[in-house]
Amino acid sequence: MQGMEVETRFITLPSRKKADWRGYLSTKLNEIRSGQIDINCQDWPFSCRDLKQLISIIDRAGLKISIIRSEIPETIVSAAALGHETFLILTKGHKESPNRALTDLRVNKDPNILFHEGTLRSGEHLEAEGDVLLLGDVNPGAKISAGGNVMIWGRLRGIAHAGKYGDQTAKITALELRPLQLRIANEVARGPEELPEPGLTEQAELVSGKIVIQPARSRLSSPKRPN
Amino acid sequence: MAINTRIILICSGKGGVGKTTLTANLGIALARQGVKTAVLDADFGLRNLDLLLGLENRIVYTAQEVLEESCRLDQALVKHKQEPNLSLLPAGNPRMLEWLKPDDMQRIVSMLSEQFDYVLIDCPAGVEDGFKNAVSASKEAIVVTNPEVSAVRDADRVIGLLNTHGVKPVQLVLNRVRPQMIASQEMLSIDDVTDILALPLLGLVLEDEQVIISTNRGEPLTLSGSNSPAARCYTNIARRMQGEEIPLIDPSKEGSGVGSKLRRLMQTKIF
Repeated sequence: MQGMEVETRFITLPSRKKADWRGYLSTKLNEIRSGQIDINCQDWPFSCRDLKQLISIIDRAGLKISIIRSEIPETIVSAAALGHETFLILTKGHKESPNRALTDLRVNKDPNILFHEGTLRSGEHLEAEGDVLLLGDVNPGAKISAGGNVMIWGRLRGIAHAGKYGDQTAKITALELRPLQLRIANEVARGPEELPEPGLTEQAELVSGKIVIQPARSRLSSPKRPN
Repeated sequence: MAINTRIILICSGKGGVGKTTLTANLGIALARQGVKTAVLDADFGLRNLDLLLGLENRIVYTAQEVLEESCRLDQALVKHKQEPNLSLLPAGNPRMLEWLKPDDMQRIVSMLSEQFDYVLIDCPAGVEDGFKNAVSASKEAIVVTNPEVSAVRDADRVIGLLNTHGVKPVQLVLNRVRPQMIASQEMLSIDDVTDILALPLLGLVLEDEQVIISTNRGEPLTLSGSNSPAARCYTNIARRMQGEEIPLIDPSKEGSGVGSKLRRLMQTKIF
């Protein structure tokens, strides 16, 4: 405690194209006796369940995690939801993506994802230059807007604007999507009248110029990631 | 003693949801439980807490004179005639709004907290200067709302502001609940409201004609020990504030039993 430095060990999981992380992690942990772990999950899309498994493996080795790094926003969401410090790594692939190239100049000026914890109440407005991740609800009368994607770990019942600088590929994702109004780039849509299926994470995106709401398929589980 | 004083703001955002009525009734109910309570009317523009308590004709000095130091605090305090544990500090004239600052409000409240266990501040409607003054002097808050979309929206806004001012804890009172309308889904249910506001529910107050009668008479319902639905609700809220564990009423059971039907019949048809 008294000024004693805990040594930080770095672990970088292999890319999911190469090898499974579990075996790699176990052998890696055998070499480490003490200290805290700074873990880079690279391109692994981890759900909370996956992360819990990873954390318990590290726990069993008697070690603690100091920070979880990832290239994948969803892994960051899961890690943050489990109460870990996180860091989103922006990859080169981000820039090369053809359909984002136009707008990414703007987004990349401030490449950080903005985290906000807490509910946005009526009259409040959360704005972000890049992507925004909210851990909490957006209540009716509140507004959340971002240059990139809007991700809400909670209920969206107010107004959300993704791609406010014109990024047409921006998406709005929420655990419960029942907004008053949705805006993506320059398109505006009123929220659906009917209630969403409970427990279904939904996502809104532009499909040929119209805002469409669909169950959020994990675009990560599909082999080809758009960005 | 001053350290333990609970300084509670009673606010709602929207007007007419029952802030002043709740302040008056809680004031009386707390006083009846034997704690020294002060109610402070912070609604300088449209004061009427004195009316509800039936103390209008006893006001000599107001908060304005106290601040100008042209009278002492205890000269301005109006003791309730039947409940000596309750005192009212009346609002001054509406022109005070032009010069009153958060500092002034804090001064009044700190003077009150030397003498009382509870200071209830009746907040003005809206979120402008009057609200900001009142918030600056408060430690905790009770947000009053009705099961109506507009009242809930305004309450939500106010809760956001309370959070930014660091007022904690904030509790919720849901006023003018009509069990039948909730049952027939014509009114927002308790869950609908708490779902959005995400606050601990301090109590429900049932819609009750007796409230209007008592307001016009200047005798808060809790004063007479009346057994009307709203009076019971107010008393329960006061007891919960004092730390007693009293279960919330279940609106779905309220108003369906034989007893309550009979009571309603007695209160409406006969006399």
